[in-house]
This record gives sequence, C-alpha cells and structure tokens, in this order.
Amino acid sequence: MLRASDRTFSRRDTVSFLVCLGLSVVGLFLPSGWGASVAATLRDSALTPFVWLQARAEEGRTSRARFRAVTAERDSAAFAAQFLPAIAAENRQLRSLLGLRAHLQTPYVPAEVLHQSSPTDARMLLVRIAGPVAPFEPVVSPDGLVGVVSSAGHDQASVMTWAHPEFRVSAYSADGRVFGMVAPSSGSSGTDAGLEFRSTSYRDTLASGTQILSSGLGGVYPKGIPLGEVLGIAREQAGWERVYRLRPAANPSAVTHVLILRPPQAASVTAAFPGDSMLAALRADSARRQRLADSLLRVRIADSVLRAHLRDSTPAAGPVRQPPPAAPRAAPVTRPAPVDSAR
Amino acid sequence: MTVGRASRAQLVLVLAVLAILHFYVRPRLWDARVSPDFLMVALMVYAMRSRPGDAAIAGFVIGLIADALSPARFGAGALACTLVAYAASWGRAVFFADNLLVNAGMIAAGVWLRNLIVVVASGTSQAAFIAELGIYGPLQALITAVAGVLILLAFREWFAIRLDV
Repeated sequence: MLRASDRTFSRRDTVSFLVCLGLSVVGLFLPSGWGASVAATLRDSALTPFVWLQARAEEGRTSRARFRAVTAERDSAAFAAQFLPAIAAENRQLRSLLGLRAHLQTPYVPAEVLHQSSPTDARMLLVRIAGPVAPFEPVVSPDGLVGVVSSAGHDQASVMTWAHPEFRVSAYSADGRVFGMVAPSSGSSGTDAGLEFRSTSYRDTLASGTQILSSGLGGVYPKGIPLGEVLGIAREQAGWERVYRLRPAANPSAVTHVLILRPPQAASVTAAFPGDSMLAALRADSARRQRLADSLLRVRIADSVLRAHLRDSTPAAGPVRQPPPAAPRAAPVTRPAPVDSAR
Repeated sequence: MTVGRASRAQLVLVLAVLAILHFYVRPRLWDARVSPDFLMVALMVYAMRSRPGDAAIAGFVIGLIADALSPARFGAGALACTLVAYAASWGRAVFFADNLLVNAGMIAAGVWLRNLIVVVASGTSQAAFIAELGIYGPLQALITAVAGVLILLAFREWFAIRLDV
C-alpha cells in the first residue's frame, strides 16, 4: 500500500504528465500559423544561443570561417584541406552558388542550412539568413528549387521544402508544350522523396529526361527554376490526365547553402492607371503647355507685325523704294542721306 | 532511484555537456538523419533517474525545442518526447537502470519510439512510414545508443553504472 507522500508524488506525476500531454496535443492541433509563430518566438528568444552554437558548428564543419583564415595565412594547408571530402563538397556548392549569383537578375539573400536530427528535417529546414527575408519567398540551390520560406525571424527562417506534403508549384516542360502542377509524390519520405508532375493534358506525352521548370504562374516562384526531370509516367487518371514521376533537381537533405530570392523592386506604374487626381494633373500640365505655346505664338505674331510695320514705314523716309539686295534689313532706315545727295 | 542533491548537480552538468554536444558536435558529424541525437540521450538519462512527472516535463521541453528547430508539425515532437520520457521513467521500475546494456536498449528504444510518434503525428505516407521505421529510425537509434553508452562510460562513477553485463 502506498504511503501518503508516495500517493502525493504519484498524483503529482500523473498531473504533470497529463498537463504536458494536453499541451502537446493543443500544440499539435493549433493552426499552423500559430505553431509557426510560437516556434519562431522560441527560436528568437530562448533557443538563440543554441541556434548560434549550431551555426558556429556548421561553419566549423564546412570550414568556411577556418577557410577565410587559412587563405590569408596558410596557402599550402588550404590546398591540402580542399582534398577533404566535406570541404570539397562545400567548395563545389559554393562555386555553384557563385555561378548562380552571377547569373541572377533578381535580388537574393544567401543562407546557411542548419540540419536537425528530426525525421522531418527534409520537409522543413532551418536556415540562418544574412539579410531580411519574408514568407513565400523561393529558396533555390544551384541545382534547382529547394522550397519556399515558411516563416522568418531576424537572423533565421524556416523553409518548407518540396518534400512537404503541402508544397505545390506551377510548372511547365522545358519544350513549352505541357503545363501542370508539381507536388511531392504520394509515396514520398524525407531523403528519398520524389516529385510528381500532375494536372497535365492527356493528349501530350513527355519523354523521359524532359526537364520541368517553374512557370511563374501564381507569382511566388519566378519562371525558369529547374524542378526536376521526368522519370516516367506514374499513373493515368481515367484518360483525363497523366501524372509523371520526376527526379527532383535539388536535394534538401544534402544542401548546405542556399539563396533566397527576394522580389525585385517594382517600378512605379501609377502613370499607367491614372485616377481622377492624375487626370487633373495631366490636364493641368497640358493646359500649361498650351498656354506656353499660345504665348510663343503671340510673341511671334507681335514680332512679325512689328517687322511689317517697320517695313511699311520705311518708304516715307525717302524716294528710294528698292534698297540694295545685300544690305541689312535696317539699311532703309539708316541710308536716306545718300539718296538725298544724289538728288 | 531518485537523484539526490549531490548527484543532481552532476546530472545537470552531464545534461549541459550533452546539449553542447548536440548543437556543436553533432552538426560536424555525418548526415543529420542518422547522426546521434544527444538531446534524446540527455532525456533518457534524466528520465531513467527521476520521477515520471519530472520526466514528462523534461520530455515536453526537449520536444518543444525539437519542434521549434524543425517545425514540420508543431507539437509532434513535444507529444513524442513526453510519452517516451514518461514511459522511460516508469520503465526503470521494471528494468535495472544501472545496467549499461539496459541503458543502451532504453535509449535506442526511446529514439525509435520518438521517431515513430513524430512521423505518425506529422502525417505521412505508408512508404515514408516504412522507410522511417525500417531504415532511418533503427540506424539513428543504434548510433544514438552507442553515443549514449560512451557518455555513460565516461561518467560511470556519477551514474553508478554497472559494467558486469
């Protein structure tokens, strides 16, 4: 039989367990936006030192910080270090990223991926960002599309990768014949997940190896990001649509550095859609120009009237009606004296 | 065996070391999916030496950390770690918690069970479920158990680990 203190402890244990269990279940059924905001708050507050520590560890693993010092001090050691597999792989990725950055027209923010040991790591990545980003901004690697920013803090963000069940992107085949929607395949898991090209027209058939790109429809993903290539037909639905299996272009589990594409700064298009005030401004401007043109016309008329008046008044000064052809216009006024002396 | 006041400080020290190992050493190792989960080692070591209620709270906190860092489905990690820690704490009444192999087995089972609950609560396909339980889960459980054994061996005086397996 339990003693009173044991019973108290046992009751306390049960209450603690039930409270924790209840909170977990509440968290599980919270709207995803609330859950993401709670997670972001935790990452930005209590977990900041741990995220910082892991970022330093990632830097150490990929030797980026060490590489900076080594390039300055020990060229030979850097040369030897490049033969290490991890560093060689990182160098490849960074070089590819540099190549990608050189070709990118849109603004971007570089980010470093902090992989977790959770089984859902490939679906949602935690990245450490080097600048401000916002949700729904696409995340790319040199190989292709990795995912989209789900929530963002001041120095880190969570990224929904293409392996997430809710991921969708509008796409088209590289030859431009077939449009559809790319989504994770129904049998997808973390690292060995695949993609499907759905909602494609039944009359067109894509050959294996055809590259699939983002179409830009929807406004989230820019046009032309590689998504994968066709492996074959996954299934056909009642002669209505064909679903293709895709080999994904980028592997979220293996990627260490990514670029987050920011929306380009849009130029003002206000003039294309004039409102009442704009029309008034345009009218005022046109009226001002009209007034200016009128005043110039009046000046020209006055000038020509004046010249005509001067021309008409010249014969009264003397009998010579035809001035010499080479003489300036003022000559009739200044040359009456010789005419008089000739007389 | 409830931890006493003297051993509580030692336990806190070991847990801090494990947290540093998790966030500073684990990323330097191989693929994250099969790298040892030092937070789970810490949770299991703590759960097997404390009351079920305290273990459940610790599990909830560890799960919340996991959810915040990999928010595929917020709450799944907290639920999984709470259940695992509570079960581990009750399990010490059945098994001998000072035996090294028992500790290793409990850690492996805890990691595997945590992964199972997380995958189920996050919602996934049958193929992913089988891959997680058949390949990645056991691999990570095994590697985490080995890491846990090494930790327990390093601090065997503090945890009163019996080596006569």
